[in-house]
Amino acid sequence: MESLAHGIMIGFGFIGATIGIGLVGANYLNAVGRNPEAAKFFGQAIVFVGLIEVYGLLAFASTFFVK
Amino acid sequence: MISQFVASTGPDVHVAPGADFTVFGWPITNSMLWGWAMLVVIAVLMIWAARKITVKPKGGALQYVELGAEFATDTVTGAFEDKKVGRKYVPFFVTLFFFVLLNNWSGLIPGVGDALQTHSHPLLRPFTADLNGTIAMSVVTMAFVYWASVREVGGIKNYLRHFFAGSPKNPLYFVIGIIEMITDLTRALSLALRLFLNVTIGEIVIGVFAYLGGLLAPGNILAPVAAAPFTLLELGVGALQAYIFVVLAANYLAIAVNEAHDHDELEQLASGQEVDRIAVTVKA
Repeated sequence: MESLAHGIMIGFGFIGATIGIGLVGANYLNAVGRNPEAAKFFGQAIVFVGLIEVYGLLAFASTFFVK
Repeated sequence: MISQFVASTGPDVHVAPGADFTVFGWPITNSMLWGWAMLVVIAVLMIWAARKITVKPKGGALQYVELGAEFATDTVTGAFEDKKVGRKYVPFFVTLFFFVLLNNWSGLIPGVGDALQTHSHPLLRPFTADLNGTIAMSVVTMAFVYWASVREVGGIKNYLRHFFAGSPKNPLYFVIGIIEMITDLTRALSLALRLFLNVTIGEIVIGVFAYLGGLLAPGNILAPVAAAPFTLLELGVGALQAYIFVVLAANYLAIAVNEAHDHDELEQLASGQEVDRIAVTVKA
């Protein structure tokens, strides 16, 4: 039962983060497709990936505290 | 093989640092020890680089220090509208960049982590994989950011004004300003948590895959093979987190400074000074 709880926590925690990173990547490629000069904002896209990532990692970290 | 995975107890996972020894009753933890060691390494490396550096690039190990310093400098000054103001704060942020970067990477050296153990916890631990360490770093950074933005804007009153989008007398702007202030206070915690979680979970992922790889063949022969791709991934994550830490800190400062700058320009425009200057340049 406990391992099931860990699985659900990690799964749902990662869903949000992965959707967010997917949206960032999709919109970045969209922007580059429309305007190739927008490729210089890759660094900013990565910053947003870093911002989103932490919420997935929070879910992963909290599984260590669930008993 | 599946039953082997399920039945095993799993690798050791350390989220908190452990005390290696105590000095006058103060516990000296493994992350403190390694943090101090890296501090000495960074100081020696940077002093050596500063002595050796020349206008004409010579190559060798020096060019990587130069590359990192230039990248961090461009990142920090890029956040500011007024490059002169940005250049003043470059030394602090570039130091921060190298400190976080080398601490993240130093955790990936074999031997730092679970390989060497004392008192059933690792002997050495990367400084950034300790929440105490990252909170200390983020508190120092945010204190510097507040001090510098108050100095740049010219007084606490002007600094507080930028939360309220102009006038605190408007009830809507007042409420927004209070919420903005509370958001501002959570920045120190979010900076610390982001760095800590990324580095710690990187360590845990490497540990888990080394453990799983060890199960595949007798005598843990395949453990390094399984852990190698994740170690390479963590090199990228370590660099990215150092970059993000510096970009966010520089932007927190730049937001306050740039807004005050805009405000000054608007006031100048309103008082007609700017118009006079344009007229003079047109005549000339």
